[in-house]
Amino acid sequence: MDMRSVLHIARQELTVNIRNKWTIIFAIIFGLLVVSIAYVGMMVEGFSGMQSFTRTSASILNLVLYIVPLVALTMGTLSFTGDRGAAELLYSQPVSRTEVLLGKLIGVFLSLAISTLLGFVLSGGIIFLQTGSQGIVSYGLFVALTLGLSLTFLSLAALVSVASGRKSKAFGLSLFVWFFFVLFYDLLTLGGTLLFRGRPANTFLFVSLFGNPVDMVRVASLIILDDVTIFGASGAALLRFLGGSTLGVVLLVGGLTAWIILPLRISRRVLERQDI
Amino acid sequence: MIAVDHLTKRFGRFTAVDDVSFHVRMGEVFAFLGPNGSGKTTTLKSMVGLCIPTSGRVIINGQDVQKCPKEARGFVSYLPQRVVFPENLTAREVMRFYGRIRKLTSEHADEILARAHFDGFADRTVSEFSGGMIQRLGLAVLSLPDAPILLLDEPTANLDPQGVKRFREFVIAQKQEGKTIVFSTHLLDEARQLADRVGIFVGGRLVALESIQDLRSTLVVEGTIEDLYLHYVEEYEREKE
Repeated sequence: MDMRSVLHIARQELTVNIRNKWTIIFAIIFGLLVVSIAYVGMMVEGFSGMQSFTRTSASILNLVLYIVPLVALTMGTLSFTGDRGAAELLYSQPVSRTEVLLGKLIGVFLSLAISTLLGFVLSGGIIFLQTGSQGIVSYGLFVALTLGLSLTFLSLAALVSVASGRKSKAFGLSLFVWFFFVLFYDLLTLGGTLLFRGRPANTFLFVSLFGNPVDMVRVASLIILDDVTIFGASGAALLRFLGGSTLGVVLLVGGLTAWIILPLRISRRVLERQDI
Repeated sequence: MIAVDHLTKRFGRFTAVDDVSFHVRMGEVFAFLGPNGSGKTTTLKSMVGLCIPTSGRVIINGQDVQKCPKEARGFVSYLPQRVVFPENLTAREVMRFYGRIRKLTSEHADEILARAHFDGFADRTVSEFSGGMIQRLGLAVLSLPDAPILLLDEPTANLDPQGVKRFREFVIAQKQEGKTIVFSTHLLDEARQLADRVGIFVGGRLVALESIQDLRSTLVVEGTIEDLYLHYVEEYEREKE
């Protein structure tokens, strides 16, 4: 694989996406939400001013888990389905299909990362000035997990786009993927536990965690933010199952990495056998 | 230079290209002639590796397009039927991108852009361009790598008379530079004016392979070029029955 071609395509994709109005709109909305949550979160509890890094991360966790997969799937599908004429011209160049796939993925990821980081850095800067640096490492790790979630759903967008062929079908399927992982999966696993009793039910629940990247990021974030204990006994059991905090995060990050690589490998195989 | 050997492409039960074989010689202008859906585009796309043949093979300068696609595509520059560029990129950015992909310098890309008469427009975004300018940019991208083989899919399909004239001038200039050119068209006159040889496609099959001289002499017997084309279609339909 020629990495220079990958980087040229990534650079082009980054430029196109950064200039895309939807990326700019997402950056503004996400930035505003993160800053307001950091500020309003404290006010709700009767205090004025900013929350600390840890509390801000915990407060915006749900926002991240809903918005980031949706935006990654949308932007990814837009990029990977593209226009037929543009795709024909690009794939007719002396580049491999894998190089195009990887270049596009990196380009869209960088554009999403920049627009996400804008919000995080802005609110992080304000929090730092108001409350100091306590919890800044956890905040940084949380940001890294958010970027990991973004990359996972971009990889899924690549698979959905390659498998669908048509743009409309790919968008429909992307929405289904979002709905399934963000809303439906937890209901499904909870329903699944009804089939088991006692310990096997717990094991099923914990193992099912690795079947959903959104849940993996949720749990890893809570472990990082020392908040998994808010689940009481279940939280403690989960940590025991994962082998402790550090090993737990490593396992979850490993699981997330598999969720990035696997869809990408399948997309590549499908794309290599497909007509453009 | 180009060898298409028993090329067949099926989409499900539909056979788009049916056992097509032909050669294109170096420096030759070769036209695929046929109505919509006759297999011209699929054949062209198979020649550049965009379509994966069901059977058969395409050899470009000794390289099998399926086995060594990157190497084979290094000899080819292809222009699709509908040229599309990202609307928020400038003409210069488009050219430099395709230049970088071909390992060419930015200066070379700028030079080709200037030769395509883009002075004053090079730093404007594609969204500001008319259809004719997008086609000109497409032709600039096509000629950017100085590839020995140019493949063009229905290049005049959506053009106004001025665009058609520009394309004809482009083909003539490229031919003089010794390029091998293959283009598809359903315009009989266009093929007659520009091509050295014509391959006539009907129903996914290459029903005739004629040099322009032979085509002209056959025309004396058959009447107009349209009559000749209809003669091939009828012959194909009879054979099918």
